[in-house]
Amino acid sequence: MKKSDFTLQRTILATCTAMILGTAGQAQAAGNEVPALSGVWQFGQCVDGTRMQCLILTEDDSRLTERAKAFRDAMDEFAQPKYDCGPMSIPHMWTDPYAHQIEQFDDRIVFTYGKDDVVRTAWLPNSNHPKPRKNEYSYFGDSRARYENGALIVETTHFTFDPQGLNADFRLPSSTQKKVVERYTKEGDDLVLEVTTTDTFFLKEPWTYKVRSKADPEPLALPWDCDPANAQDILTLMAPKFPNDPPIVRLPAE
Amino acid sequence: MKFQPAAILGALALAAAGAQAHHSTSGIYQDGVELELKGTVKEWRFINPHPSLKLEVKDDKGETHTWDVSYGGSAVAHLKRRGYDANTFKPGDVIVVKGHPTLLTTAYGLLIEGGNPTRADGTPYP
Repeated sequence: MKKSDFTLQRTILATCTAMILGTAGQAQAAGNEVPALSGVWQFGQCVDGTRMQCLILTEDDSRLTERAKAFRDAMDEFAQPKYDCGPMSIPHMWTDPYAHQIEQFDDRIVFTYGKDDVVRTAWLPNSNHPKPRKNEYSYFGDSRARYENGALIVETTHFTFDPQGLNADFRLPSSTQKKVVERYTKEGDDLVLEVTTTDTFFLKEPWTYKVRSKADPEPLALPWDCDPANAQDILTLMAPKFPNDPPIVRLPAE
Repeated sequence: MKFQPAAILGALALAAAGAQAHHSTSGIYQDGVELELKGTVKEWRFINPHPSLKLEVKDDKGETHTWDVSYGGSAVAHLKRRGYDANTFKPGDVIVVKGHPTLLTTAYGLLIEGGNPTRADGTPYP
């Protein structure tokens, strides 16, 4: 082989290698692409054109288990945490018509909601934030975030049992086995959020909905500063479910 | 039934489909019935989760009842966008309000849907 042929071969090999590596590099970059999601976003509307219907798990929804319906019928409305200013958990949170804010940091995503003074943190892989112990559950669970194919994915598990965990208006609960997966992408200037909820106790199948939000020029109207007496006002308009029980005496608010 | 006071200007049966309540108030108010009340503002609290309007209304026997007038699921942020604030109503203001009464006939509650109360001269709030 002549030296010139060898040089040509090396050049072609190097070019091909560079092209392959370059393509792989671009693919890697696309896979890890960080969408610009930071900002305040308006209440999301269903992408299927049903405004907010896709967000609501109705009281007789075919996806509910018999167990869920039995709980719904037994649960006393007066004992719902919302009447003590208890916040909405996810996924019910998104059914309430309020804006929310997303802040992207190197090691975490912070979500702030325009209702209930709720702030959630989803930890990115490089955060080293400890995972919950096997006996550690919390109202908003443990949220882990990652970027994947241009989307932000947030997976949340380790929820406490929640009597209003699937829907606070129809007494639809969620269990410690609830898992909520959020997928955030950008479509033009819009934010698209797809939420999938599974719960082997109360849902027969995964429940998925997709909403689109516009950027909100207004800051969040905070603090929410819920007034417990005001939250309980509406109970005076309802008949008690268990009238023979002793009267409800709530703990004093702060 | 208690919904017969002289100050109630009218009651109208509506088609249920045309008066669908917000989901969080379903089972509390009569979707298919609309009442119009004239009364005096006792209290207006511009607070969360739901701004609260208490209205004193005389019934046809001359007895005064305090009605809880609700804007449904609306919070302070929502009503602010509609022009309401902490001073929209003052104690003593005479207002007319239209809405759906409670299913519980021993309670005095009214759900406003979409519309706004009006002043005694007919001009709408806020």
